[in-house]
Amino acid sequence: MSTSFRTDQEFFLDPQRCIGCHACEMACAECETNGQLPMIHVDYVDRFLSPQTSVQICMHCEDPVCARVCPAVAIEKDEFGIVHSANTARCIACSNCVNACPFGVPRKIEPMDLMMKCNMCYDRTSAGKKPMCATVCPSGALFYGTREEMARRRPNSSPVNTFKFGRETVKTKVNIMMPKGETELVVYE
Amino acid sequence: MATLPVPVENLIARFGPHLNFPRAEGIPGRDEPDAVVKTHCCFCGMQCGIKLLVKDDKVVGFEPWEEFPFNEGRLCPKGVQRYMQNEHPDRLLTPLIRVGGKGFEKIGWDGAMERVVSEIQRIQNAHGPDAFAMLSGVSLTNEKSYLVGKFARVALKTRNLDYNGRLCMVSAGAGNKKAFGLDRGSNNYSDLAHAEVVMICGTNVSETFPTLTHWIWQARDNGGKLIVVDPRLTPIARTADLHLPIRPGRDSALYGAILHQLIKHDWLDHAFIANHTTDFEKAKEAVKDYDLAWAERTTGIAADKIELAARWWGPAKTSFLLHARGIEHQSKGVENVLGCINLVLATGRIGKPYCGYATITGQGNGQGGREHGHKCDQLPGNRDIENPEHRKYIAGVWGIEEKDLPGKGLTAYEIMEAAHRGEIKGLLSICFNPVVSLPNNNMIREALEKLEFYVAIDFFLNETARHADIILPGSLHEEEEGTVTTAEGRVVRIRKAVNPPSEARSDTSILLELADRLGAGERFSFHSSEEIFNELRVASKGGTADYFGITYKKIEDTMGVFWPCPSEDHPGTPRLWEDRKFKTPDGRAHFHGVPYREPAEVTDSEYPVILTTGRVVSQYLSGTQTRRIGKLVKQYAEPLLEIHPALAARLDIHERELVRVSTRRGTAEFPAQLVETIREDTVFVPYHWPGRKSVNQLTSGHLDPISKIPEFKVCACRLEPTGRKAPSPDEAQAWASP
Amino acid sequence: MISTLNRLALTLATLATLGLVAAIYLGSRNLGNFDPALVAYLFACIFACFGVVYRYSVWLQRPPTWRYFARGWQLFFSGRAIVYGWEFVKNFFVNFLGQRFIQKRGRDLGRGHLLMAWGCILAFGVTFPLVFGWIHFGLKPGGIDTYEIYTFGFKTMEFPLHTWIATLIFNALNWSAFLVIAGVMLLIRRRLTHAGQIAVQTFEGDWLPLLLLLAISLTGLGISLDYKFMDGKAHQFMAITHAITVILFLVWMPFGKFFHIIQRPAQLGIAIYRKAGEEGPQAVCPHTGQAFTSQLQVGDLKDVTTQLGFDFRRSDGGSHLDYSPQGKRALLATAHLKARQKAGSYFG
Repeated sequence: MSTSFRTDQEFFLDPQRCIGCHACEMACAECETNGQLPMIHVDYVDRFLSPQTSVQICMHCEDPVCARVCPAVAIEKDEFGIVHSANTARCIACSNCVNACPFGVPRKIEPMDLMMKCNMCYDRTSAGKKPMCATVCPSGALFYGTREEMARRRPNSSPVNTFKFGRETVKTKVNIMMPKGETELVVYE
Repeated sequence: MATLPVPVENLIARFGPHLNFPRAEGIPGRDEPDAVVKTHCCFCGMQCGIKLLVKDDKVVGFEPWEEFPFNEGRLCPKGVQRYMQNEHPDRLLTPLIRVGGKGFEKIGWDGAMERVVSEIQRIQNAHGPDAFAMLSGVSLTNEKSYLVGKFARVALKTRNLDYNGRLCMVSAGAGNKKAFGLDRGSNNYSDLAHAEVVMICGTNVSETFPTLTHWIWQARDNGGKLIVVDPRLTPIARTADLHLPIRPGRDSALYGAILHQLIKHDWLDHAFIANHTTDFEKAKEAVKDYDLAWAERTTGIAADKIELAARWWGPAKTSFLLHARGIEHQSKGVENVLGCINLVLATGRIGKPYCGYATITGQGNGQGGREHGHKCDQLPGNRDIENPEHRKYIAGVWGIEEKDLPGKGLTAYEIMEAAHRGEIKGLLSICFNPVVSLPNNNMIREALEKLEFYVAIDFFLNETARHADIILPGSLHEEEEGTVTTAEGRVVRIRKAVNPPSEARSDTSILLELADRLGAGERFSFHSSEEIFNELRVASKGGTADYFGITYKKIEDTMGVFWPCPSEDHPGTPRLWEDRKFKTPDGRAHFHGVPYREPAEVTDSEYPVILTTGRVVSQYLSGTQTRRIGKLVKQYAEPLLEIHPALAARLDIHERELVRVSTRRGTAEFPAQLVETIREDTVFVPYHWPGRKSVNQLTSGHLDPISKIPEFKVCACRLEPTGRKAPSPDEAQAWASP
Repeated sequence: MISTLNRLALTLATLATLGLVAAIYLGSRNLGNFDPALVAYLFACIFACFGVVYRYSVWLQRPPTWRYFARGWQLFFSGRAIVYGWEFVKNFFVNFLGQRFIQKRGRDLGRGHLLMAWGCILAFGVTFPLVFGWIHFGLKPGGIDTYEIYTFGFKTMEFPLHTWIATLIFNALNWSAFLVIAGVMLLIRRRLTHAGQIAVQTFEGDWLPLLLLLAISLTGLGISLDYKFMDGKAHQFMAITHAITVILFLVWMPFGKFFHIIQRPAQLGIAIYRKAGEEGPQAVCPHTGQAFTSQLQVGDLKDVTTQLGFDFRRSDGGSHLDYSPQGKRALLATAHLKARQKAGSYFG
C-alpha cells in the first residue's frame, strides 16, 4: 500500500470547537475510498437544548474493539496504526463493530452489506497529504499536523489519547485536545 | 408582459431547481485532471482560496488550496460542494424567449439581442431613459461590476441602476463613510489573533462565514474573550465568554448603553478622542440617559451582562469589533453601525496591531462590487455620483460629457416599488433574484408582472427570471477571468477554469454586445477582463477605493493586494488608519449621536411575536446555486421555524407541527423546531427558499432612511398552530417550492 | 510446531480429510473410475480440504464467530425453521447467487464479480467431481454417436454427439473460462482506474487472486485451443502450466483471498440472526430514545466483549453497549464539554 505516510503527523480532535457546519462530512465523501459516503459523524448532541455538535472520526485504537468483535476477521490495523475499513471480501455485515465501537464510529452501509469507516483518508495520507476533513475544517475541531505545531497553536491545551470508559481504558492513535495538564478523558465513571 | 408564461410547476419541471449529486463511483478523470486552477469560492465575502480540478472542459472536483493565506485550505460545506454547480442539468444553454401558454422557447442570439435592444429603445423613447432600470449583483467580479455601472450609465443611459448589495452591507458602508470617510473593514482578519476582546454583533459567523471562525478561535486560544450579540444561541455563541441575547431591533440601545458605561467608568482614550475625532460630545449627549436599567428594559438583556460587556470592552488594550447583517438589516441599520463605531473610537483602538473594526461583508464580491459604481448613487473608486468633481473625472475616463452622465437613481427596493406603480416599464437584471431575496416579495412579484419588458442574464432560471421576456444564458464564476475584493479588502484573482457550455456566453461579452447594439460600442472596446480592470484602475485612481496600483500580475505574485493601493510600487494597505489620517473632509474620525429609536414595526396584540430571519450554513442567499446542489439541500432541506418551548407551550405548538405565520404582508406555513436557544419573544426562519416557503413573503419593506436597506431582521408576526404534522422534507421539496 | 497448532481444528481437519478420501474411494467405485492423469489435482484438493477445514475450525473458535455460529443453529432449530428457512432461501438467491449486495457496491465491481463467481461455480461443479472420479464419460456401447455420463458409477445421462448439448457439455470448462476472463478484465480495469481502489489495494490481497484466476482460465482455454488448432502439439506444456496454476489456487485457498468463498455463507446465518433480532425486543438508546439494534445483539455483544477481556460496564449498572453509536458519540462530546467547563475555558 503506502510509501509516503507521514509518521510525524498526528490527528487532533476538539469537539468544543466544532460549529456543526458539516464541511468535513462533505469533504470526507469526496475521499476516493468512500464512494461519496461520508465516514465522519457530525450530530447535534441535543438540538433542543443547544447547538452543540459531536464530531467523530475513527480514533484508531491501539487494540481496536471493532476488530476484536468482528466474527469475520475483516478489520485490520496496519503498520501505521490505521484501522482500515472492513475487508470487502470478508465482511458479513453483522454490525458487531458498529455496536461495539466505544466511539460509535463504524457505519454499516445497508444495501452493500458492508461496514465502512474512517481510514484517516488513506488515499491522501498514504500519499503524504492531510486528511480531507482536517484540511477543510474551518474551526480547528479537526487538525492534522505535528505535535510541535499543535503545541505552538494551542499552548494551553494538552493532546490526550487515553479514554476511560468506566473500568475500561482505551488508547488511541488520534488525540483529543483537553485542558492543559489533563492526561485522560473520562467518558463515564 | 412579465407574468409567468405557463404555471410555475411546469417551469420547475423543466428548469429546476433540480438536485445535482456527485457520482458514487467516482468522477472520471478527477485523479488525473487536465488542469488544477487556483481560484476562489464563488460564495461569501471570505472568498476562500480553492483549487478546481478540470477535465475535458468540466469542473470535476476540488482540492484545498493550503497556501492561500486567509483560509489555508479551510472551507465550509458550500465551498466543498461548489463544484457541483458546474455540469448541472438546469444550466441555461441557449437564449430563451417567453411564449405565453408554452413556456420558454429557444431563440438565436441575434434574435434575442435584437428584441432586447428594440424593447429598450421603445420604452426609453416613449417614457424616457429612466423608465428602463437595471438590477445587478455583487457575486459579479470587480470587472463586471464596473462594466455594469458603465453600461447602465453610458449605454443604457438610465439613472435607475442598483444592486443586491442593497440587501447586504449598505448600512455598514454608509456608517463607515460617515465615520471614517471610507468604506472598508479597517483591518484584515489576522489582527484578530491577539485581540483581548472580540465582540461580534449580529453575525452568525459559524454559519454565514465559517472560515472566519478560525481567526476568532485564534484570539481565544491566546486568551482573548469573545462577546456575541445575537437573539439566538448560535454555534459560535455557544462557547462564547459572554452571549448577549438581544431582542431583535434594539441594537443601538445596547451600544448606547455600553458607551454610557465607558463614559461612566472613564474607559476612554482621551488623547485619541481629542486629537483624531470630532463630535464625541454629541455621542455622549445621546447616551446620557442610557443606564443599565433602561438598557435591560429596552434590549431584553440582563443588566449585569451588559455591564460585564462594557467592563471587558472598556479597559482592554486590544480588541476587534465585527458586525454583519443582524444589525445592518434594520430601519436604523446605519445608526446601529455608528453605535458600534462609537465604541471603537471612544477606546481609540483602531489603526494599531490587533485593534480592529470591520463589517463582515456577505456576498462574494460584496466589498469590490460596492466600490465601482453599480450602485445608484455611486461612481467607480467609491465616488459620489452627485459630486461635480467626481462626475467630471469619471466622465473623462469614460469619454462622455459630464452632462450626459445620469444622476442618482432609485435603490433596489424602490425600483421595484416604482415598477409596481408603473413608472418603471422595463428591466434588465443580472445576478439578482429579488423574488426570493427582497422583503415583501408578493409586492415584488406583482411589480414584475406589471413590467412591459424584462430581460434577465443568468446561468440558471432563478425564480425572478421566470418572469422574463428574454433570458440570456450567462456565465458561472469559473467561466470568466477577473478579480474580486474580499471582506478584508484584499483584491484576489478569479480564474477561468472552463468555457461556458454550449451557446452560453460570458456575462462580459453579453454586456459588450448589448452596449454595441445600443450604439455605445466605441466606449466598450474591451478585449479581455484585464483590459476592463485596467480601466477600472484608472477610474478608481484618486478615489477612496483606489485600485490604481493593483495589477493582475501583482495579485498573482502576492496572492492578493489590499486596497487602497495608489501606485504600482505601493504594497497595499492591510491595516487602515495607522497614520490616523481618516478620509473624512476634516481628516478626523467622526462620532455620531445615536439616540435609540424603535424598529419600524413593533409587536402589538394582533402581531405579538417578533419574527427575525437569517441564513443556514448549507445555503447561500436566494439559493439559485445552492438549492441545486443535492448534498447542500439535504443538509438543511426546508426552512424551519425556530421557537422557544415556552412560547410554543403557550401557543400549543408542537415539534414539527406546521405553524401558520402571518404578518401584515402575508402568511406562510413552516414546521416548528422547538429549541431553547432562541429568545422567548422571537421566532426565526431562514430565508433561502422560494414561493410558498419564502419567509420574505412576510418581512417588511421598511427602509433605513440613509442606506435604504430593508428591515429584514425585525417584524411583528402572529403564530397559529395548524394541528397538522409537517410532511417529511423530501416530500415537501421546499428547495423547489412553487 | 505441533504445539502451536489448534488441537480441535487439527482433529476436525484430519477427520474431514479422511472423510473426503473415503468419499473419493467409494464415489469412484474403488478408484475404478478415477483418471490417473488427474492425480496431482487430487492431492492438491485433499490438501486444500485439510487446510480449509483447519482454518475454518480455528476461525469458528473466535468468541464472536462462535457466538454467531451457535446462535445460527440454535435459531434454525428453534421451531421457527420455516420462517428462518425462508430467510435463508431468499438470501441464498438474492445475495449469494445474485450477489445483489456486491452490485450495490459499484457497477463494474458487481458485473465483474458476478461473471467471475459464476465462472468459478461452474468450473468447481465440473472439476471436483471429475478429479474425484465421481463422474466420468463414455461412449454408449454399440455405437459411435451417443455419449453417456456416469455419476458415482451410475449412468445419469446420455446425449448424442455433434449436437449443441454436446458442445455445451464438452466445453463447460471453456465457458467458465470465458466468464472468468470477462469478469477479471472488468475488475482489473477498476483496479487500474479507480483512485480509491488504487489507494488501498495490495498485491497479495487484490492483484494476485485476479491474476491467478486469469492464468487458470487462459491456460485452460489453451488446452482446448491447442487441441483444436495445433493438433495437440503443445498439449504437454499447456497441461502442465494449467495444472500448476490450478494447484496453486487449491493450495492457496485456505490461506489467501479465496478463503472468502468458504467464509461467505456465514452471511446467510447473519440474515437469520438479524431476522430473529427484528422479531424480538429492540435495544433503545438511553440518549436518543430510538431503537438501534436488537437486544439479542446487544446481549451477545456484552458477553463477547467480556470474553475478549473488555469491560464496558457503567457504575450506574448499565453498559456503554446499551448506547447507540450516536449516543456513544454524544457521551464523548458531553464528557469533553464537562471537562472543558470544569477547567474554565473551552479554548487555549
